Amino acid sequence: MKPIRLLIDKLYKIRALNKAKPMLDAMDAAMFGTDETTRGKPHIVDTIDTKRYMSCAIAALVPAALASVYFYGFRAIMIIAVSYAAGLFVEFMFAVIRKHKIHEGFLVTGLIFPLVLPPTTPLWIVAVGVMFGVFFGKEVFGGTGRNIFNPALVGRLFITIAFPAIMTTNWQDPLTDAITSATPLSVYNSEGIMAPYLDLLIGTQPGSMGETCRIAIILGGIFLMFTRVGNWRIPVCYIGSVFIAALAGNHFLPEKIAPPLFQVLTGGLLFGAMFMATDPVTSPFSKAGKYFFGISCGILTVLIRSFSANVEGVMFSIVIMNAFTPLIDYIVLKFKFRPVKI
Amino acid sequence: MTAKHKSFSRGYAFKNFEGQPQDNFLQINIPEKVIIPLKQGFGDEVPPIVKPGDKVAAGQIIARDDESVSSPVHSSVNGKVIQVEQVNYSGREINAVTIESDGTDDFQKLDGFSSEWENLSAEQIGRLIYLSGAGSLGKSGIPTGFNSSIISPRDVENVIIQGVGSEVHNLSLEVLLRDGHLWHFIVGLKILKKLLTNAAFHIALDKSAKNLITEVTDFLADTDSFGIYSLKPKYPLDYDEVLIPILLDREFPHGFSSANIGVIVLDIQAVLHVYEAVAQGKPLIERTIALCGGGFRERPHLGVRIGSPIEHVVKDRARQDKELRFIRNSSLTGEALSDLSSPVDRTFNTIIALPEDTEREFLAFARPGFKRDSYSRTVLSALFKDGSDTFQKTCSTNLHGEERPCIFCTFCENVCPVAIIPHHLFHYVERDVIDETLLSLKIFNCIECNLCSYVCPSKISVGQYIKQGKQKLLEEGFECPSGGFELKAVEKLKSLK
Repeated sequence: MKPIRLLIDKLYKIRALNKAKPMLDAMDAAMFGTDETTRGKPHIVDTIDTKRYMSCAIAALVPAALASVYFYGFRAIMIIAVSYAAGLFVEFMFAVIRKHKIHEGFLVTGLIFPLVLPPTTPLWIVAVGVMFGVFFGKEVFGGTGRNIFNPALVGRLFITIAFPAIMTTNWQDPLTDAITSATPLSVYNSEGIMAPYLDLLIGTQPGSMGETCRIAIILGGIFLMFTRVGNWRIPVCYIGSVFIAALAGNHFLPEKIAPPLFQVLTGGLLFGAMFMATDPVTSPFSKAGKYFFGISCGILTVLIRSFSANVEGVMFSIVIMNAFTPLIDYIVLKFKFRPVKI
Repeated sequence: MTAKHKSFSRGYAFKNFEGQPQDNFLQINIPEKVIIPLKQGFGDEVPPIVKPGDKVAAGQIIARDDESVSSPVHSSVNGKVIQVEQVNYSGREINAVTIESDGTDDFQKLDGFSSEWENLSAEQIGRLIYLSGAGSLGKSGIPTGFNSSIISPRDVENVIIQGVGSEVHNLSLEVLLRDGHLWHFIVGLKILKKLLTNAAFHIALDKSAKNLITEVTDFLADTDSFGIYSLKPKYPLDYDEVLIPILLDREFPHGFSSANIGVIVLDIQAVLHVYEAVAQGKPLIERTIALCGGGFRERPHLGVRIGSPIEHVVKDRARQDKELRFIRNSSLTGEALSDLSSPVDRTFNTIIALPEDTEREFLAFARPGFKRDSYSRTVLSALFKDGSDTFQKTCSTNLHGEERPCIFCTFCENVCPVAIIPHHLFHYVERDVIDETLLSLKIFNCIECNLCSYVCPSKISVGQYIKQGKQKLLEEGFECPSGGFELKAVEKLKSLK
């Protein structure tokens, strides 16, 4: 503890690092907490701060991240490392130029982003994607708290559209080096064969790095909801509506729409519903809005999966609904708070 | 008659905080000098009727004005008036009388009191309560037929007795009501019932105080105008704005006083003062105050003469090794007592001393947090059940983090006791958008309980922003909407300074 204190104090004194002050401040604050006290009322405040809030989101992602390392080995670690390094660079540059503190939100984006990538993604694409996501998904809107779209999804969407060949057909079989062009969803779409549910749960089917081990995701999701960092309404409505829409759809159009449990356990649904749709900044804050958001995401996902050229619909449906978030809240508030006659 | 259970789904329960007051009661000695502010509790400031050099007795009225909405103020000690001068008290300039005490502890009793209070008429009871000063207790005073409240005793439809301590630190009801005081409380209720003939009485008690609830229920079994309710303590249940909708199932006229809808809310100590005034002839010259918080070495309940300097109350009991912040009544909404020579008045219940914790902590954000409180369940103290004494939560003024932008976590919205959306209002006020949208978002419903600021992970003073928004609205000429209530005595409320 003392050596770290001395080291930080020393770094502060180096003149060349003056420009890097936001970085040092962030390190200092993360290591040693705050010496500030409340100014006025209330005289006491809750223990939680954004550091702890975001750490809990990261802790919830850890099981999925560990599973990705288990299934895809060193490559997964590299991808995560590149994502953090490249994203932090953009975040840091913005902090220096716009003279604000480094906000902790990036730490979550930096981990979510690699986990939704195929394990074969070249590292330079990882870097491009995360930088695009942080830059155009968050910073240009004014930084944390003001962004409209989930930054990790913006990055993912960008590289999917920019490099479709690499991003949609290069999958890797877990625990082997074999490259396959198909995921369970695309196999169902083309051949009508369903992967066994147990394999899907454990994660031995190909897919994005962190999305395949569904048990880890469910554990993380439960932790997130227990700690109140993630709200239960969106994931429950999202997954529930996918289930119901698929149940009805499969009944009438069995050749087009996959059965409900299969839909729930494939693709990025669980990961998206637990960790991306719940992003508080980009989802509605009102309770009614959350229900509407979750249900709409679910129906869109089933529609895109079944009727569009894309086999996966989670990413698109969340981004589309992100765009409607301000409108949803606006309408909910219109109903909840009637204008006052003066 | 049995106690009815009522629940409150919003708000926040502060559990297992360190520094709760101990179970003992001590009478502290008479201070050498008291400073009596001439505005205490509900009502306007009253003009002094003594001058420097006058000899006064404890219990003697030293300031009164029967015309304005106010209650008389008494000397709390036997002695001599030294000076009458303007002081800054609780943020306003008011007159205060300084009295040098001779150290004796007897006091002058009120004229016309009777231990056989049944023989007194309602008018006599009202007069005793008014003259004792007890009429200024509660947020809107006790109507006595004099000008102690804005309405008359006949206008009171409901009386609520507030016995649920929902603050972080609370005065112990058990200490307040033992040694026969419970009987005084019951008699006090009956006295009030005789005065406020048209009123139904509602007594709210802490759910966990089972014995107290049974005893009160037994004592009041033969009467039918008393309803007893048990509630789980959840901050801010002691606010009229929160308690009235729960107990009476009617809306509170936000921006006005409960008296405007014929409801009076009193705490248990106020009822005891009523008993003392009417049956014992004791004017309001003494309060029971609990010392709370980790800044005190010992935390007894103290019988304190009104006007005693805070110094006199806290000295010898406060810790010397730490810098402390003294606060009156509430860690969330109470004024910081920066000047310890200022006096204790009728409105004091607790004096809280919190350590000013400026110490930095290695990896503070990652600590397990067995002893930390959080609305979120991100610390391990969330795993322990109510009332477990294994880990008492620490309580200091540390900010526990740095200010950050709002991330729409909706914690403030979930705890808000009046169901407005604090973070939404904050965004409007922060961007200086002050218009009728704020009115329709019910900004005037805010009761300034500061719970939103307490739970905020981004350490934003949400409550302060909302307060600012209200002030700016008023400056721009907007008015708090009266919302179609039938309100009594609004003019009188507005005439109050």
